[in-house]
Amino acid sequence: MLSTFLNHQWKEFWRSRNKAGSIVAQVLLGFFILYFLAMAIVVGFGMELFIGKIFPGQNTITVFNSFILYYFLIEFALRMQLQELPTLSIIPYLHLKISRRQIVNFLNIKSLFSLFNFLPFFVFFPFIFVKIAPSLGMLTGAMYMLTMVSIAVFNNFFILYLKRKAINNVMYFGLGLSLILIGIGLDYYQIISLRNVSNNTFLAIARYPFIALFFTLAAALMLLVNSKYLLANLYTEELSSKNDKKVSTDYAFLNKFGRVGELAALELKLILRHKRSRSSALMGLFFLAYGLLLYKPEMIKTDSFGMMLFAAIMMTGISILTYGQFMFAWQSSHFDGLLTNKIDFKDFIKAKFLLFTISSTLITILASFYGFMSWKLLLLHLAAYLYNIGFGTVVVLYFATLNYKRLDINKSASFNWQGVGASQMILGLPFILLPIFIYLPFGTLDHPFWGLFAVGVFGLFMLLLRNFWVKVITNKFEKQRYKIAEGFRE
Amino acid sequence: MITCKNLKKNYGGKTVVNISELTIGDGETIGLVGNNGAGKTTLFRMLLDLIRPDEGEILSKNENVAQNQHWKNYTASYLDEGFLIDYLTPEEYFIFIGSLHNLSAAHVADYLKQYEEFFNGEILNRGKYIRDFSKGNQNKVGIAAALMQKPELLILDEPFANLDPTTQIRLKSLLKNLKTTHKLTTLISSHDLNHVTDVCDRIILLEKGLIIKDFHTDENTLKELEAYFSE
Repeated sequence: MLSTFLNHQWKEFWRSRNKAGSIVAQVLLGFFILYFLAMAIVVGFGMELFIGKIFPGQNTITVFNSFILYYFLIEFALRMQLQELPTLSIIPYLHLKISRRQIVNFLNIKSLFSLFNFLPFFVFFPFIFVKIAPSLGMLTGAMYMLTMVSIAVFNNFFILYLKRKAINNVMYFGLGLSLILIGIGLDYYQIISLRNVSNNTFLAIARYPFIALFFTLAAALMLLVNSKYLLANLYTEELSSKNDKKVSTDYAFLNKFGRVGELAALELKLILRHKRSRSSALMGLFFLAYGLLLYKPEMIKTDSFGMMLFAAIMMTGISILTYGQFMFAWQSSHFDGLLTNKIDFKDFIKAKFLLFTISSTLITILASFYGFMSWKLLLLHLAAYLYNIGFGTVVVLYFATLNYKRLDINKSASFNWQGVGASQMILGLPFILLPIFIYLPFGTLDHPFWGLFAVGVFGLFMLLLRNFWVKVITNKFEKQRYKIAEGFRE
Repeated sequence: MITCKNLKKNYGGKTVVNISELTIGDGETIGLVGNNGAGKTTLFRMLLDLIRPDEGEILSKNENVAQNQHWKNYTASYLDEGFLIDYLTPEEYFIFIGSLHNLSAAHVADYLKQYEEFFNGEILNRGKYIRDFSKGNQNKVGIAAALMQKPELLILDEPFANLDPTTQIRLKSLLKNLKTTHKLTTLISSHDLNHVTDVCDRIILLEKGLIIKDFHTDENTLKELEAYFSE
């Protein structure tokens, strides 16, 4: 059964409509994975050497022990951002003679094939073989390994659980984020030293090796919780449709934009009336916390805006990125209707620009509380904001005309994982990198404010050219519309 | 009204539409019949510029539909649920479609009054989004929205499917009445031979993309069609 599923997945990937896009993403992803594996092997085999160099005179095993939990905390944070939910369009299988447990098992097993689950093998195991096992005994070495694998598996399923829950309720994403922040905060303010906890844990394992089984138990429990949740939700497709009365609404503030405003209002309703789009809108609010992580006092003092520009672009442009990456596909279920009705394509494109501009403006205003940290951040945000509405919107909409993949916005959100995770992030790279490239020459020549100025002026210039871009994208859209419509009809 | 010239569309090496010449005059009501895979929906999609013909062209009022959008001013259509914006309430959808033709919300509400019978009290003020309606009721919304645009060219793909018998009969009389009140060219596809021969004054029979028969209806039409399909 498992091999049949894998076979179907394989076909789904190779026969999908925007194959080219996903292959590019996969290849890029492949390079990243190879790079990380290579790094991990270097770190793994050089561990003893590195520890000796960086912490001279300390017991290498103690240092090693104290960093293990750090590693897993960082891993957790990365998974939060990058790990993809295993996808398998389940509905066609549900009515067949396949037990639900088999489907759940497949999803669980597939999730284990994640880079994160393999990294510990390369990072930690060499050192365990070379150092721990000889000096503390084979059993201890084995239990070290068991503990690490268990924590990785625990993280794996915990993240999947959080992510699945977060699709229906964004608070779960917040929960994960706050767990990470609490972990970092406790350590940073020296309330609980993660290093000591880590060291003591593994010292205990060295003394009583079977404590490791406790971690295995935790991982098994997490797997159980996850399976239970999946199993329960395989049944209740319509769990979420409450029978409250729906009312017609009218957004008066958009009326003054005429027909463009009407189309924007239509899309606003789309966003607000579907769980999936609503969560991605809310996700934008959580991203407002990005600055807290990435804006460092030293950076602000020395005017090194390079790294901070990244965070600023992400924050002020998050709505453009998250909503824009699936652009047009949000409307795939009624795309034919949009094409045959009396809608000018130019208005259609303009409405998207309008919506992006409004959302980005709102978020930028919200983000201005960073002004309390430093007035420089406001300049930074202004530059990022101008770039986003001026050029970010253009990039996203241009790529949207190349997206032929249907998105079933109506399907129960729990099993709608199309494109959640790393591959989409990589397609977002040009969006993020361009402003940094503009800034870089000024930054390295020690004219940081001119760098911000350049980014801002670039954005402003593109904003003034908006009518031109609208024309370019409309033309592209007119050419592509048959292909897009065909893809969305599937 | 409409002229198709050397129209061809292939899918995977098979020709699904192959029409060398077809002219549809102003005010005609055309019934398109044929088994599954005859190319009815593909023809409609090409008429509406949703797919591109591989060869040939379609002229609507002497303008190629793929080259400009003028046809949208006088064409209304409903092919399937893909034409409905299903997260809107029916009222919002009607108002949106109306606004595209410069009708105010009050106008739309006023206009919908005449469809009270057609809707049978199941559409308006139900406090539901279109996606929560049954397929038949979704059809009603789509058809009513198409008629509301006061089109000169109306294209409906299997409008009788999924409708209850009462509504089917009401729809027939609605279509017949429209012809008498203003100039309307209608294209309907259907598997229900009774209904098409009843409503249409010209029948086009498609098979594997080719026009097999093209004739005006008279009292023998139904028998002829039944004979053809039972072969």
